[in-house]
Amino acid sequence: MSQSLRPYLTAVRYSLQAALNLTNFSSQEVERHNRPEVEVPNTSAELLLQPMHVSRNEHEQVLIEPSVNSVRVSIKVKQADEIEQILVHKFTRFLEQRAESFYVLRRVPIEGFSISFLITNKHTETMKTEKLVDFIIEFMEEVDKEISEMKLFLNARARFVAEAYLGEFVY
Amino acid sequence: MSDSVIANYKLAKAPIYSHCFSQDRSILAVTLNTDCLVFKMVPNGKPQLVASLSDHDKTVTAVDISIHGRILTCSQDRNAIVWEPLSDGSYKPTLVLLRINRAATCVRWAPSGYKFAVGSSARIIAVCYYEQENDWWVSKHIKKPIKSTVNCLSWHQNGIILACGGTDGYVRAFSGFVKGLDSKDQVASSPWADKFPFGALVREWYNGAWIHDVEWRSSQEKLAYVTHSGSFNVVDSSGQMWAAEYPEGLPLTSVVWVNDHEAVCGGFACHPVLFTEGASGWQFSKNIDKTVASRTPVAATFDEEGQDETGSFGISALKKFKDLDLKGKVSTQVQECTHENAIMELAPYSEASGNVTEISSCGLDGKVVIYRV
Amino acid sequence: MEDWRRIDIDAFDPDSGRLNVEDLKPPYEATISLAELEPKISQLRSAATSGDFATALQLLTSDPPYSADETAKARYFEAVLSVLTQVRQAEIASLIKQLSSTQIDVLIKYLYKGMSVPDGQKQGGILLSWFEKLTQNSGVAPVVRYLSDRNTV
Repeated sequence: MSQSLRPYLTAVRYSLQAALNLTNFSSQEVERHNRPEVEVPNTSAELLLQPMHVSRNEHEQVLIEPSVNSVRVSIKVKQADEIEQILVHKFTRFLEQRAESFYVLRRVPIEGFSISFLITNKHTETMKTEKLVDFIIEFMEEVDKEISEMKLFLNARARFVAEAYLGEFVY
Repeated sequence: MSDSVIANYKLAKAPIYSHCFSQDRSILAVTLNTDCLVFKMVPNGKPQLVASLSDHDKTVTAVDISIHGRILTCSQDRNAIVWEPLSDGSYKPTLVLLRINRAATCVRWAPSGYKFAVGSSARIIAVCYYEQENDWWVSKHIKKPIKSTVNCLSWHQNGIILACGGTDGYVRAFSGFVKGLDSKDQVASSPWADKFPFGALVREWYNGAWIHDVEWRSSQEKLAYVTHSGSFNVVDSSGQMWAAEYPEGLPLTSVVWVNDHEAVCGGFACHPVLFTEGASGWQFSKNIDKTVASRTPVAATFDEEGQDETGSFGISALKKFKDLDLKGKVSTQVQECTHENAIMELAPYSEASGNVTEISSCGLDGKVVIYRV
Repeated sequence: MEDWRRIDIDAFDPDSGRLNVEDLKPPYEATISLAELEPKISQLRSAATSGDFATALQLLTSDPPYSADETAKARYFEAVLSVLTQVRQAEIASLIKQLSSTQIDVLIKYLYKGMSVPDGQKQGGILLSWFEKLTQNSGVAPVVRYLSDRNTV
C-alpha cells in the first residue's frame, strides 16, 4: 500500500463506520412507503446527516451521504488520461449492468463520480456492517490496480498490433 | 461470551425491533417482520412459540405488554392492535382507532394499564384509552410542536407526563391527562407544572441529534435520553442537564435506569454500556459483555502499520504474503459480543430492592439476550 | 399549460410540518459578520507565519464562527486551511493530543470541509494525515458526532 493511500482508506473506513448505523424508517411523506431517504427528492432535511467528503486529491474522492435509513457512497476513480477515462467508464458500466448481483451497487453513479453504492437498512440488517465496509475499501484498492493493469495490457497489445501491422512495410 | 450473559435466545433470522416480557416474565413478545410472536418462557430451555399475532400487513415496529397482560403492537401499516389474552391461550385482536396517516413507530402502556401512547411518523402522538360504551380504543392526538417522526415514548410513573423524542432533535414532555380516567391527585405535587391539560407541552429540550430513546426515573423526577451522536443525557425539572459521551462513539439506541445513579445504554456497538453518576456528574463507567475492543479491529491493524511506516516501509515479498494471509483471515473473525448486530431495545428484566439486576435486550441479529448488570 | 399534476400541494400547507435546511440550524443568539471575524483571521495567519502552530490550532478550534454567513465562513476557512497545511507531518500527532474532545469535534469539521472544496482537495494528502492522527487519537466518536451536528463551519 502506498504511503498516501493508507490514510485515504482509513478515513473512508472511519467515515463509513460512523455512517452505517441505520434504522428501519418509514417515510413521513408518503403513506405506507419505506424508501431510502437519501435517494428521494427530500422534503425532510432532518433525516439527512452531514455529507462527508474524503479526498486524496482532485481526482480521487469519496462522497458519503448518510441518512436515517440509507447511505450513498460515491467513488471517483483516478483517471489520469483519456485511456484511463475510457477504461474506468467501461469497467464501471460492466459492473453496473450486473448491479443486482452486487446488492449494494447503484445502477447509475451520481453526477461527477465514477461509481456509486447505495446501502440501506435492509443490507445492514442482513450483512455484517464490518464486511460491508471491508467490501467498499477492498473495491477501492482493487479498482485502481485493475485499471492500471488493464492500461498496461492495452498498451502492450497496441504495441504488438502496431508492430505486426507496420512490419508489412519493412523490407 | 462473557459471564454477564445469563441467557441468549436466537429467536429469528430477521431483525427484532422490539421485545417485551410480561409482568411475571412468563411470556415474551417479539416483533418479527409483519408479525408479533408470543413465546412462553421455559426454565432452562428455549422459549416455546405459543402464538403468532399476524393481523398487521407491514413491518411491526413495537410491542408492549400491559400489567394486565394485554399485548399492544403497532406497525408501519398505520395501525395499532390490542391483543386480549383469552382463557384458551389465544389472543383476541381489537383495532385501535389511531387516526394517523403514517407509520406508527413506538408504543407504551401507561403504568396503570388503562391507556397507552403511540408515536408515529405523522408527527403525532396518539394517546389511546378504552371506551366502554362502544367497546373500542379511541385516541386523542398530541400534535404541536412535534416536527418530525416520534422515535420513542416514556410515561412518568404518575401516568400523566409523557416524554417523547424524535428525529427533530428535541426531547419533549407532554401532559397525557385523560379526563374521566386520570385524577388530579396523581400529579398533586409535581415539580414539572401546576396544571396538566391534555396535550400541553410541559417542557422541551433541544439536542440537535436524533433522539433514539427516553426513559423516566420517576422517583428522582429525572429524564434520561440517548442520541444518534452517541451521547447519554439526563435532565431534571429545574433545568439542569448532564451529558456523557460514549467513548466508543457509535450511536446509542436504548436506555434503561438501573438505580438512581446508574443507567445502561445499548446501541450500534452491539453490547450494553453502563453510565454512572459520580461526584462530577454522569460519565461512562464500563462495557458489559465485551471481551476485547469491538468494532475497531481496523484501528488496531492500521496502528501497527502506522508504526512501521517510519521504520522499514518497503514492499517485501514476505509482507505481501502476510497481507494476503490477513485478508483471508478476516472472514473467520472471532465473535466479540453476544449480539452480532446492533441492539435495538433494552428493558429491565428483574429487580431487587430498587436495583435493576438483570436486563433484557433485542437486536437486529434476531436475538434476545438477558444480561446481568 | 402548467403541469398541475406535479404540484407538491403539501408545500403550500403551513401545517405540513416539514423541516428544511434552514429550520435545522440551531437557534443562534447573534450572527457574526465578516468584519468581526477579520481580527481572528489575521491572528491565525500571524500565528501560522511565526510557526506557533499550537496557539493557532487552539485558536481555530475554539469558538468557531457557526453563525456567520457562507462568504464569511469561506474567508475564515482560507486562513484555517493555510494553518493546517503549514504544519509539518511529524508535529500533527502531538498537536492533536493537546486538544479537548470538543476541540477535536471542531477540527474534524474543518477537515471534512477542507476535503469538499477544491482548494483543500489539492492539499488532500495533508488533510488526510490530520484525519488519520485524529482518529488514532479518539477513534470513530468524533466522526459520529460530526454527522449529527447541525452547526457547520
